[in-house]
Formats: sequence, C-alpha cells, structure tokens
Amino acid sequence: MNSEPVIHVEGLRRRYGDFEAVAGVSFEVGAGELFALLGTNGAGKTTTLETLEGYRPAHGGTVRVLGHDPHADRRAVRPRIGIMLQDGGFFGDLTVAETVAHWRGFTPRPRPADEVIGLAGLEDRTAVRVRQLSGGQKRRLDLALALLGHPEVLFLDEPTTGMDPAARHATWRIVRDLVDGGTTVVLTTHYLEEAEHLADRLALMHRGRIGTSGTVAEVVAGHGDRIAFRLPEGLPVAELPAPRGAVPDLAVTGGRTVVTYTVGGGGLQPVLYELLRWADEHRVALDGLNARNASLEDVFLSTAEGAAA
Amino acid sequence: MNAALSRRAAPVLAVVRLDVRLLWRNRTALFTAAGLPLMFAALLLPARGEEIDGRSAALVQGTGHLGFFLIFAVFMNLVSVFTARREERTLKRMRGTALSDAELLGGSVLTAVGMYAAQVLGLLVLLGAALDGRFPADPLLLTAGLAGGAAVFALLAFALSGVTPNAEMAGLTTLPVMFACMAGSGVMFPLDELPDGLREAARWLPLSPVVEITRTAYFGEDADGAAVGLLDGWSHSLYAFAVLAAWIVVGRYLAGRLFRWEPRRG
Repeated sequence: MNSEPVIHVEGLRRRYGDFEAVAGVSFEVGAGELFALLGTNGAGKTTTLETLEGYRPAHGGTVRVLGHDPHADRRAVRPRIGIMLQDGGFFGDLTVAETVAHWRGFTPRPRPADEVIGLAGLEDRTAVRVRQLSGGQKRRLDLALALLGHPEVLFLDEPTTGMDPAARHATWRIVRDLVDGGTTVVLTTHYLEEAEHLADRLALMHRGRIGTSGTVAEVVAGHGDRIAFRLPEGLPVAELPAPRGAVPDLAVTGGRTVVTYTVGGGGLQPVLYELLRWADEHRVALDGLNARNASLEDVFLSTAEGAAA
Repeated sequence: MNAALSRRAAPVLAVVRLDVRLLWRNRTALFTAAGLPLMFAALLLPARGEEIDGRSAALVQGTGHLGFFLIFAVFMNLVSVFTARREERTLKRMRGTALSDAELLGGSVLTAVGMYAAQVLGLLVLLGAALDGRFPADPLLLTAGLAGGAAVFALLAFALSGVTPNAEMAGLTTLPVMFACMAGSGVMFPLDELPDGLREAARWLPLSPVVEITRTAYFGEDADGAAVGLLDGWSHSLYAFAVLAAWIVVGRYLAGRLFRWEPRRG
C-alpha cells in the first residue's frame, strides 16, 4: 500500500456560468479504498467526479489523481483509470460483441472479450444491438467497459441506477472483488444502502459542499440514536420523563401519539435503562417500544433539511 | 521503428475501423458521403463532347468535382459525425477511454479524408478513361491543393458541428455552404462568367482556391488556357494558396471556439 493518497482533492471549485456547482470540496482517497460521494440530485457529485476524471478543469483548488492533474495530464492519467459515466452514450447500431471489440481497440492491454462480456453478464446477448438492451443491461456493459484496461482507479457515477436487485447485487460483488484486489474506487450514489454496503469512507454532498465525511460509523455517530414508543393512554405529556436529559418529541401517526427520544453522544443503553426503570416504577406499559441506531438515512435527511432551511 | 510507429498508429486505426463500420450501418450518412459524389460523377457522362471556353465541359466540371467532393465526404460527413456523437454522448464516452483527443478526432478525420481520397482517385480514372482526360500535369500541386482543402473543410466541420443542435439539423446547416461552394467556386462554370465584384468575392470562398489550384495542376494551363511550366503552376497558384492559408487560420480559430465535446447543459 502506498502512503501517498491516490486521489487528493483540496478546495475544489467548479462553476457553470454564475452557478457554482462545486463550492470548495476537499477529500483524499487512499490506495485500495472505496470512497462514496452521496447526495441529492444537483448536489455536485457528478461535477466533482467528472473533474477527477479530467473532463473539465477545476476553477479553483487542486485535484490530483495518481499524482497528476487529471485534466492537464489526461494522457498520463486516462490509461490508468476506468470511467463509468452517468450518461455516456453507446452506438445503438453496434452489437454487444462489436462494442466490446471496438473498445478493446481503444485500450492498451485490454481484458479478453469473453471476460468482459462475462463481467457484464451478457453472455447470451452478444449478438444483440446495444439499443435493444434494457437500462440495467446497458449499465452492466458500461461497468464492464470501464474495467477493460485493468484500471488502478475506477470512477463509478451512479453505477446501479436502473438495475434490478439481482443485477445490483452482482455489481456490488464485482466492485467488492475489485477493491479486494487493490483497485481504488470512487463512486457516487443516491442509494444509501449502496454506500453502507460498499464504502470504506463516504462524504455527504449538498449544494456543492461536503457536509459530513468519514466511515459509515463516524458519519452516523452523533446523529442521534432513537428510542420511540406509543404514548400510554391517560398519561399526561408533562409526566413523561427526561432520561439523561433527553427531551421527548411527540408526533401523531395513525391516530396514535408516538414519543421519540433522540439520544446524543452517550449511546442508547443508559437512556434506555433510565426509561425502562421509570416505566417499571410508574407501572407504565410502553407499547411499540423500539430503540435503534441512527442510520445513514437519518444523516442524509438531516443534512438535506438542515441545508435547505 | 516500425513497431513503434504501428503502436502509435493503432489507436487511430481503431477509430477508423469504428467509423467505417458505423458509416456502413448508417445508410443516410453513407448516401451523403459516397452516394452523392457517385451521382455527380455519373452526371458528367452526358456532358461529353460539349465545350466551355474551348475545353471539354466534362473535364472542366470533373476537375471542379475533384475539389467539390470535399463537401460531401469531409465537410458534411464530419459535421454530422461530430454533432451526432456529441448529442448521443458517445464522444464523451470515447473520450473516457485511453484515446487522446487527437487520436479520437484524428481517426474520424482520417476516415473522411481516406474516403475522399478514394473518390478523387476514382474520379481521375473516370476522367482519363471515359472523358478523354489526361494524367494530371502536376500531381504534386494537385495533391497539395486538395490536401489544403481537406484541412480547411475538416476545420470548418469542427466549427459548424459546435453550432448544429442535432444530427438531423446537420443536413440543413451544411446546405448553405454546399450551395455557395457549388455556385461560387467555379465548380460548374468558370468564375470568369461572374460580374467583376462578385467574382472577386467568390474567389474568397473556401472551395474556390482548391478548384483553381486543381484545374491549374490538372491541365497544366492557367485559367486563360496558356500553358504553364511545372514551377509556373505553383507561382500561378500563390494567391489561391494564400486564400487557403487564410481559411486554415480562420477555421482553426472557429473550431477552437465552437467545437463542443458535450451537449449544452440544461
């Protein structure tokens, strides 16, 4: 493993006219790491990724991929990276086999055609014109073409959009195998499950900036584990306890009032213990009691809401 | 040396192979690039025996076509290739491979110019075999003029593709250039037949110097029919080469300003 980061981004800015799509983004990705950029549509994920891929220059800040400026030194960087675009087009009139054959011609030391078609899971569709493939099949062909040149760094822009669950899991397996083999991967996604499943580290982007970043556990930490139960009938709201200082939050769903405690740094256990002791002492039954850790979804939603406010 | 050269040529040839296959699959594009020149060439046959200014009309028009075919195989073809690939985002996808920009664009230019060169050779054979033509008096001058024309029209194709919104519109945006060159570059009739002011303006159309150089090189005579020696052909063509050079500068500038790799956002 190299101590130099494979990808180094510092203070990246990128405008389209007056609109600043990326407004000062910094992160590093080490060799063999999978880094995920999460965010809503228009958060600046694709712009960030396409700047890393060398499609456009940065308007501010520094970007280094494998030690090079990916835009100015495209010739040095491109043969060593694989790119799966969000909206790259295919020649619809070519068959799957023809597409793979031509793309192999563009690539130094390409994988064998059979292996590529196997990676795409299109063994029985080789004679089919690309325009007749389903959206998910096109995405898998996309991925296979990105892997053609045994890339050291792989960029995946929303790789599983449009795939059915089976194809999605197959894709995750391919990506995990690549990472195990030492490939560095940067992917964007708006599927939280995908990031939780694959990412060593991730960053949440919103409106051109990174809100939170770290491992899934780090990102989720401090975003509040939750304890919830239905408000016992006949219990005045004022008599609800404040275990370890946690304040009850009330919401009406399905005709019943649900009490939710959001728990800060100390974790679920002490708060839950105090709550249960109170319930025991006051002989109160806590219907529908559940306690759960914060999820990426909670962080995602609060980032989006927080910044929208 | 040879191995190194073939390694460097391999990516460009890979683009050429793709281009040839795609052109073959796209019958509309194939008709524009190869079918129309074939028709224009066939239309020379009925002109056999007629004369313009003491020269065979078929030969005058045929030598005009040597330059004129740039419009189909190079200009219109490349405008539609680059426009369609930009809008379908295949240009973007190809740019994500190990191909350099020069290999990617150069491969398509090479395909177009190769097809054009084949048409020129075919037409020269036709002129010689069926229309009482001759072997070009100065093949080098002929090649230089046509190569300069290919450079101009490839650059203009880059530029025009940038302002052509989609592949269907490419047929329309290239049409004014085609008509202007057909009527104003001396392809069908000598520019001498135009009124003075118009003639001087017509000499500045991008195809005009190509046609002028081509005729001088083919007949070994200037426009008035006076025989010129080998070197005289070049000195006679200086003005035309200057016009070509000016168009190359303008084309290079416009291509840099207007060519786009990706569709406009939003």
